[in-house]
Amino acid sequence: MAFEYEKYLRMEKMPHLWCPGCGIGIVLKAMIRSLDNMGWDKNDIAFVSGIGCTSRAPGYIDCNTLHTTHGRALTFATGIKMAQPAKHIVVFSGDGDATAIGGNHFIHACRRNIDITLVVVNNNTYGMTGGQHSPTTPIGYKTSTTSFGNIDPTFDICLLAKAAGASYVARSTVNKGKILEKYITKGLENKGFSVIVATANCHTQFGRKNKMGDPISARKWIESREIPLDKARNMKAEELYDKIITGEFISEEPEKTFWDNYNHSTQEYTDAYQTIIEKAQKSKDGESK
Amino acid sequence: MSEKINIPERHTKWEADIKIGKKDDHVVIGYWRDGCKGCGICVDVCPKQVWEIVEAKDKWSGQVVNIPDPSKCIKCSLCEIHCPDFCIKIY
Repeated sequence: MAFEYEKYLRMEKMPHLWCPGCGIGIVLKAMIRSLDNMGWDKNDIAFVSGIGCTSRAPGYIDCNTLHTTHGRALTFATGIKMAQPAKHIVVFSGDGDATAIGGNHFIHACRRNIDITLVVVNNNTYGMTGGQHSPTTPIGYKTSTTSFGNIDPTFDICLLAKAAGASYVARSTVNKGKILEKYITKGLENKGFSVIVATANCHTQFGRKNKMGDPISARKWIESREIPLDKARNMKAEELYDKIITGEFISEEPEKTFWDNYNHSTQEYTDAYQTIIEKAQKSKDGESK
Repeated sequence: MSEKINIPERHTKWEADIKIGKKDDHVVIGYWRDGCKGCGICVDVCPKQVWEIVEAKDKWSGQVVNIPDPSKCIKCSLCEIHCPDFCIKIY
């Protein structure tokens, strides 16, 4: 039975403005199916985005949506969650939005472990503004600002989130729509900060300068670089150069290492804040004890 | 088919009786031509080559997709999952 996407879409705004074959549509579909798997009321969901190609998504999704300033999607989302802890907050962000301009907000949201699900659509470039290189552009690839090849080392968004303290981290690609749906559902179920990275194709801006100007060859390029996490554990560092490691980096029950206990609180942020509210209400005249 | 199929009016419809293994089945494929941008991902992901690209002069990209023989479909729904433009429905 076909899935009824119309239930979650503003059909009067369709067809959407993304380029033919853009991976964001596939990630958005996985997102909608995941929201449907959770069975939440549409009025209890807040869908937030920053600036970039992904920022158009709140215009098409029919629930409480917010289109915010560049990189500050997580900041606004934290505010919504603090004011309305019962609501379910989803942030739809791009790689430039989450790791470049909003990099600071990203690591601090991870550190607080606040109950927000962040979906990062990583297309290796700034697609909307003309294909400049982003913190996730692989070394050696050409963009409009690195005409002779990029020399900047890249961020691994999953390892960054894991180190900063997120409680669910996973990565998949646009070639695996069903696995994306599974990961996003797990992220929505997780009480804590969840990061799901979806590696997507940008053939229009990034691909055209790297001899893959059509969606099929850009998707093939992503597919050729995918390595499952379990396989990658037994591989050498040189073999993993320019590869995309896919899988669940932190699942629901993380293995407790020394470093996990040392630095990271497992308590969710709005729960912790609730205990502060109770303490403040009990104390006389707002005095702290 | 006992399930109620409600394909939106904007969708083109193809129907066929198919066989999945030894089991008899029925497939209904809905395709929204106005929303399609002709990216060709459905043609690429389909394991049975059901979809084909055809020329369309009224489109910006100059191409759309078509199904010459819907009875080849095995209802894997890969095209439905990977269509970025919400254009394909498999019932």
